[in-house]
Amino acid sequence: MAVKTPLIKLDNVTKRYPLADGEFYQALNGVSMNIKEGEFVAIMGPSGSGKSTFMHIMGLLDVPSTGRYLLKGKDIELYSSDELADIRNKDIGFVFQSFNLLSRTTVLKNVERPMMYAGISQDERTKRAMDALRLVQIDNKAENLSNHISGGQIQRVAIARAMVMNPSILLADEPTGNLDTKTSKEIMEHIKELNKKGTTIILITHEENIADYAKRIVRIVDGKIVADRQK
Amino acid sequence: MDYKEIVKTSLQVLRRNVMRTSLTMLGIIIGITSVILIVSIGQGAVKFITDELSTFGTDYFQISPGADQFSTLTGSDTLTLDDVDAIKTDPSLTNVNKVIPVSLQSARVTANDEDETINISGTTTDAPAILRPEILYGEFLSNENNTASEHVAVMGSDAAETFFGEDTNPTGERIRINGTPYLVIGVAHFESALAGSVLSNSIFVPINVMFREIQGQERIQEINVSVKNTDALNQTIDDVEVLLRDRHDLDEDEENDFRISSAQDILSTVETITSLLTLMIAAISGISLVVGGVGVMNIMLVSVTERTKEIGLLKAIGAKEKDILTQFLVESVVMTMLGGIIGIVFGVAGAFVVSIFVGIPFVVSPIAVLLAVGVSSLVGIAFGLYPARKAARLSPIDALRYE
Repeated sequence: MAVKTPLIKLDNVTKRYPLADGEFYQALNGVSMNIKEGEFVAIMGPSGSGKSTFMHIMGLLDVPSTGRYLLKGKDIELYSSDELADIRNKDIGFVFQSFNLLSRTTVLKNVERPMMYAGISQDERTKRAMDALRLVQIDNKAENLSNHISGGQIQRVAIARAMVMNPSILLADEPTGNLDTKTSKEIMEHIKELNKKGTTIILITHEENIADYAKRIVRIVDGKIVADRQK
Repeated sequence: MDYKEIVKTSLQVLRRNVMRTSLTMLGIIIGITSVILIVSIGQGAVKFITDELSTFGTDYFQISPGADQFSTLTGSDTLTLDDVDAIKTDPSLTNVNKVIPVSLQSARVTANDEDETINISGTTTDAPAILRPEILYGEFLSNENNTASEHVAVMGSDAAETFFGEDTNPTGERIRINGTPYLVIGVAHFESALAGSVLSNSIFVPINVMFREIQGQERIQEINVSVKNTDALNQTIDDVEVLLRDRHDLDEDEENDFRISSAQDILSTVETITSLLTLMIAAISGISLVVGGVGVMNIMLVSVTERTKEIGLLKAIGAKEKDILTQFLVESVVMTMLGGIIGIVFGVAGAFVVSIFVGIPFVVSPIAVLLAVGVSSLVGIAFGLYPARKAARLSPIDALRYE
């Protein structure tokens, strides 16, 4: 039986940042792991553990200092910056903790934006954006400016935008970090729903109750994986 | 790339900071306004002169006495009635149509208890061929008036009004010039905007009478020569020059003791002056546009810094370098083009106001307008490129982490 190529394969990945005094800060220290298609993984760890750096590398926003990162079996070092942008556009959806939307721009235009970069026509953009907003039940706010909606609504719009290109991976960095318990639950239900439809979810959080939605929990401390548990 | 959407987004961004955008556009607005204003005024002036020249026609040239303008003003007498006859009768000058000598002198004129100093113009029956007057009453001077040295006068319409009142026919009345009585035989009106008021304020007498009674000597201020074929005007000028030099016994190394100018010369002089002026103002406006461009660059750099996180987010959702570059470049071009359009509106409005107050035709040059739009867009591209490239080259993670 042929072994299926993992969606994400990290092989001894390190990341270090130069500091002002000439020293280096080691954010990731030899991380290796595989993520298969359709998984729901929570990356947990305290502040400064390196979990956000981990997500940025997996999301192609940053590159490893050493080690290899294979996405769908291909080393990301082989891609140009425009090709990486294209992969982010089509294969990866992002939901950040804050600064998710373009301010003073309508909800609809925010969701349409990734499709604009993909060269999709205006009519198609509007149709797909409205469909995505309907899925997260915020289509009634489509014409509202993004700075005139609540924190929970912003996160729902961010999910709609992340999913509008039908990516295979959704990367969510503390998506409920600024939300109350009830709204957090709603957001997580939407994310869970996406996973049920086949989207691979990688969730960064430091909250146990949020991580409980995931089927696999990876714990990072000081840039190293200290636990990797399937539920 | 969806340029319509990018332009819409750019306008949205610029609207967010109306004051900042307006101040940034000011340099461009001033530059473009001054170019449009000066080019329009310059072209209006050229049109004014062209219209003026077409009133008198372009089928003639003028010979003035003296080697330069100064000798004309100080009363040079190098031209004589014999010169006039020679030009008229020379068999080689086949293109010459009419030859009209003019002698000018101001004199004291009295009539109807009025006493004024008026310009007297001594000329011949052919003068209307060039001056193109509208004869309101009576007739212009005849050949007989001149040959018989009759004491007759044709009054300019304004001069007639001064002595005899408005809408009055003074023919048959008598006026005194320097105490000598003259019979008024006609009234002539001159339309020309530039020379019309001077001519309409003059009194015309036979040139022989002018020499004998008013000047006491033969002094010609100008000889106007009209031609049959305008295309051969320059050749006729050359021929007349040769004839006069010969008549005045001038050696080869001697300069002319007369000057010849044509309506075309005047037009080309005005055009040269206007072009020089336009070029000068364009250079000054160029400085204003460069200063405006630096302002645009400065504000675009501020904008890139302010929107670093936004750039990070756009890159995260798939914007390529060229998408970000285009976005910022379009913003910069939209800003300078708007400045250009406002400048055009101000320039055209200013030119309209000037045309009304100065009395020149209102002319808007489509080339100047197109050039203004082109130049302002170019300024936007030139000065927006560096900030746009800076934005495009930001790494996604550095941009997202920017605080």
